[in-house]
This record gives sequence, C-alpha cells and structure tokens, in this order.
Amino acid sequence: MEIISGFGNGLLVALQPENLLYCFVGVFLGTFIGVLPGIGSMAAISMILPLTFYLEPTSALVMIAGVYYGAEYGGSIASILMNIPGTPSSSITCIDGYPMARDGRAGIALFASAIASFGGGIVGMIVMAVLAPGLAELALNFGPTEYFAVILLGLVAASAVSNGSPLKGITMVVAGLMLGTVGVDITTGAERFTMGIPEMRDGVHLVIVAMGLFGVGELIVSIRANASGAFQNEIDYKKFYPSRAEWKAMFGPIMRGSGIGSFFGALPGTGQTVASAVAYAVEKKVSPNRAGFGKGAIEGVAVPEAANNSATQTAFIPTLTLGVPGSASMALVIGALMMYGIVPGPRLLVDHADLFWGLVASFLIGNILLLILNIPLIGLWVRLLKIPYKYMYPTIIVLICVGVYSLNNNVFDVWLTLVFGWAGYLMRLFRFEPAPFLIGFVLGPMMEEQLRRAMLLSRGDPTVFLTRPISGTLIAITALLLVYALYSGMKARRARQRAHAVTETSDLQQGKS
Amino acid sequence: MKDLLLRLRRSEDTARPPHAYLGALGGVALLILSIVFILGGYELGVGSPRRLGTGAFPVITGFILAVLSLVVIASDLRDTSDAERPDWISFAAIGAALAIFALTVGRIGLVPGAFLTVITASVPDPSLPIVGKIILGALVSLACWALFIGLIGLPFAPFGGL
Repeated sequence: MEIISGFGNGLLVALQPENLLYCFVGVFLGTFIGVLPGIGSMAAISMILPLTFYLEPTSALVMIAGVYYGAEYGGSIASILMNIPGTPSSSITCIDGYPMARDGRAGIALFASAIASFGGGIVGMIVMAVLAPGLAELALNFGPTEYFAVILLGLVAASAVSNGSPLKGITMVVAGLMLGTVGVDITTGAERFTMGIPEMRDGVHLVIVAMGLFGVGELIVSIRANASGAFQNEIDYKKFYPSRAEWKAMFGPIMRGSGIGSFFGALPGTGQTVASAVAYAVEKKVSPNRAGFGKGAIEGVAVPEAANNSATQTAFIPTLTLGVPGSASMALVIGALMMYGIVPGPRLLVDHADLFWGLVASFLIGNILLLILNIPLIGLWVRLLKIPYKYMYPTIIVLICVGVYSLNNNVFDVWLTLVFGWAGYLMRLFRFEPAPFLIGFVLGPMMEEQLRRAMLLSRGDPTVFLTRPISGTLIAITALLLVYALYSGMKARRARQRAHAVTETSDLQQGKS
Repeated sequence: MKDLLLRLRRSEDTARPPHAYLGALGGVALLILSIVFILGGYELGVGSPRRLGTGAFPVITGFILAVLSLVVIASDLRDTSDAERPDWISFAAIGAALAIFALTVGRIGLVPGAFLTVITASVPDPSLPIVGKIILGALVSLACWALFIGLIGLPFAPFGGL
C-alpha cells in the first residue's frame, strides 16, 4: 500500500510538465551521445551536469537519469549497426547484434534492442520500487566470498559464449582474466606489467579492448568481403518488426536478462557491463537456440539489452539507499545530489520520499519516451547501412579514433586500440573468439579483488568459499555447470566421431561399387 | 596502384597454409604471454594464502593459461582443415590509419588528422578512385569538426597542435 501511494505521488511529480520536458531532453541527448563510439553514459552525464545546476533537485535527477539510460540505449545502436560499442556495457550486444545487421535484419535487431531495453527498464523499475529496501539489505550480506562465487559462476558460463571450440573459449576467458591485471594493483599500489608507461597505470580501458577486438578486428576482416559492395545484405524495409516466432523467442530472454540485470545492478561495484556479460553467458547455456548464438540470434540481442537496462535502473538502489555508487556514472549522480545538500543513504527514502518516488516514476515515463523516440528512428538508423561499405569503413575508423581518444584525451589510447585491433584480427585468424576474452577481462579485476579480500578475512582458509551458505550454493551450481559442460562436450565429440565413421563407411562402399 | 593491389590480393589468395600451423602459432603466442605473466608475477611477489601478493593472481591465471595453451597447441596441430585467408593489406592499412590519427591529431589538428586517416584507411579498397577518397576525407573531417568540436565541445584543435 505504501509503495502504491508512494509511486502515485512520484507519478504526480514526474508528470509535472517541466519534469516531463527534462526527462525527454535527457533521454534524447543521452541517446544521441550514446550512439557515438566510446562516449558512454559517464561522459554524457558529465556533459549534462553543468546544465542541471540551475534546476530543482528532482528535475535535475530526472534529467540525469534520462541521460544515463538514454546513453545506455544509444550505445547499443552503434554496436548493432557498426560493431563498435558506444558504451562498455553494449559491447556484449555486438556479439549477436552485428551479425543480425550483416544478415539484413538490422531493423529487427534495433527493434528487439528497444523492446528488450524497455522490458528491462520496466522490470528494473518494479524491482526498485518494491525491493529497494530489501535488496539494499541483501547487498549488504554479500561479502567477498559471495562476490567471488558469483563471478566464478559467470565465468564458467562465459566459457560457453564461444561458438568455436569450448577449449579455446576457456583459454580466452583465462587470457582476459590475466590481461585484466595490467595496471596499478589497487590493494598494494604496485605497478603490474605497465612496462614503465604512465598511461598504463590505470590499466587498459574496456572500451579500448572492445573497440579494438570487435570494431577494428572485424573491420579488417570485412573490407575484402565487402569491397565495393553494400555494408549488409538486402534490407527489407517492411521487416522492422519481429515475427510472432521472434517475439516468442525474445520473451524468455528479456525476463531472464531483466532478472539477472536487476540483481547485478543492485550489487555495488558490479554495474551493467557485468550484468549483461553474465546474462548473455547464462542465456547461452539455457536457451533452446544455443547454436544460433554469436551468429545473429535475436535472443543474443534481447538478453544483454534487458540486463543492461534493468541494471541501469537498479544501480540507483545502492546509490540512493546506501550511498554506495555501483559505477563511476553513479558516483557522478551522488556528486550531483550532494551539490543540492542531499546526502544519499538509508534516510533518503524517509527524508526525500518525493525525490525517490519521483525518480522511480520518471523511469517509467523515461522508458516510454525512449521507446517513442527510438522506434520511429529505426528506419533512419538502418538506412545508414545502405551507404556503400567503401564510404562507411573509413568513416568508422575515424569515429573509433575520436571515440578512444576522447576517453582520456590521450593518443596513447589510439595506439592501444591499434594493438588490440591487430590482436583481434589475429585471434580470428587463429580461430580464437574475442567474446569470452572480453568477458574475462570485464570480470577479472573484480574477481581478483574479492579473492584477495576473502582470503584475508578467512585467514588464508580457502574452504570459506564452500562453508558460507550463499557462496557454497553458487559454487555447487558452478560445479554442476562444469560437469554438464564436460558431459555435453563429450556427447558432441562422440556424435562427431560417429558421423565421421558413417561418412568413411559410405565412401568405402561407394569406392567398392 | 589499382593493379598492384589486385596482384597483391591474388598472391595472398594462393598462399594458404594448413590451419594446424596457424592455430599452433596462436597457442604459442598465448604460451609466451603466460610465461611473461608468471615470471613477472613471481617478481612482484605472490605473498601467502592469507595475504595474496600483487603477483599472485597473474601467476595463478598465467599457470592455467600455460596449461590450456599447451592443450590448444596439441589439438590444433592435428587440425587438417585449410587456414583462414589472411588479408595483410587491410591489416596494414587499418593499422596505418590508426597510427596516422595518433601521430597527427595532436600536431596538426583534428580536421587534417581525420582527412589523412580516411585516405589511409581507404587504400585497401580499389573500387574508390583517388578523387573519391579525397572527397570522402574532406567530408568526414568537416563533419568531425562540426560534430565533435562545434556541437559536443570535445577538446580537439581543428587545425594546429593542441
């Protein structure tokens, strides 16, 4: 009852004409800034922050929230159309979104992304309204062992992301984990594998890795394939809307993605990138269309987008109720609130109920606006793909350069992108897939941090991962997943051997006759 | 220039080693990388189980990667399929385009930097004549000026050093 009346009051606040306008402006600007490669929600919020100084706190927060999830959605447009992730969290969308675009289904991919973002946003909003206090408490029960167990589960699931050999998938995940250690060790302050280069002290930015491996690497592959041709197969302008079967295929992934996203968004320090990576990996394991993943499966677009957007909403839970920002963008939100003299924390729900519920209601309105704004624009975005590839790819290269340069205003990042781009191309040549590498790279630093904390708190006793109930359960699920992966791998191998034997026998018979 | 590119492309198409060598080469590269991380990790200090050192995680992951790389090498050496067809011209041209952007943007500005980047990146596609490349370069660099400097206000100098 309290929730309904709170939400009702929030709706009244959010529907005030000026808040509605700021929400629209925020969503609009966020989408357009998010489309630009490398310029993510953090840069978008930073750009918009000075504009909000003159607004009421609620209006300012509504606008910032609009920019935030607008940018997250905009990021997926660049991922789907050009394989260059606009934001780190949308890098997972590249894996299936881009193959869909190449297959002439860019419109459907963008539509699926919009619908999944909307679904994820609404689920995230409901979770935030209903479970904010409870989730905040649950998040407090999550110690280092639980975090480690969750990440391990995510990584084991991620090894399944590879479409090629599972062995190479696991190898890439471990390589990602290892390369994630480059930079200053946050526990001791010691430099690791920086080769004395000051710019390497902060490690390698995820956007650089994603743009290099996916953007530049894929571009090198596709130049010859597309020379003097169009960027993608024939576009059917009538086919922007998913078929009934596609709607059906999307529903489950959107729900599962939203659930996983809501959970990860509420955990401080994880954020949307981890949420979409884990959701994709889990979906790849449970989906009936496992074989289609990585080749343009609509589920592969829906699941990270739903997870990403629901995590975007629930990231506000620890930020507002605990005062603990889930990501750098959320730290900016806290900064903006503090400028108004509002201290985020458990008292916020009581002292500033109007602001909290106004924000929750603005999520609903913002997500509807996002849908209204983006569905008609799908046609425009897809028409971009009609531009012949010979004009398109040099432009994309410049966009990548500007995007990575603007991360830190440093040309060193462009050099690093070149290295990762070449590495991405060589990976394809060696038949290694970049997707599991990216997931390992995302989860690695957090995994290491939690492992070290857990070992310190347990006084060096590794059995702590099994004896604590939440982590013990998660480790058991991970073990089951591993056993299942081994079993299905062996089954597939046996089936291949049987098929090979049948072919050889029939060849022999043909030879005799 | 066009003929040269086409000839180079044709020679690339004929040179196709079996995948076994290429695949094993990837495994060897990963093995070397893992050894670098293991040695570097030991040098940083692995600490104790209670207080894991700075180098502990790189050493743990390095060891796992080394073992996996050996398995990859062993399994790829048995692969009899044809290798992927490499495209070294695009590989070099795209690398050069990124390098040119990195070298020029701080020295001569975004507009000429983007122009040269477009020209370099478009080299592997012989279907676009040189005039087309110049026009595309001019359009892209001017659009970058309008969008990134004029509209968004990113800290680039359109012309000249930063």
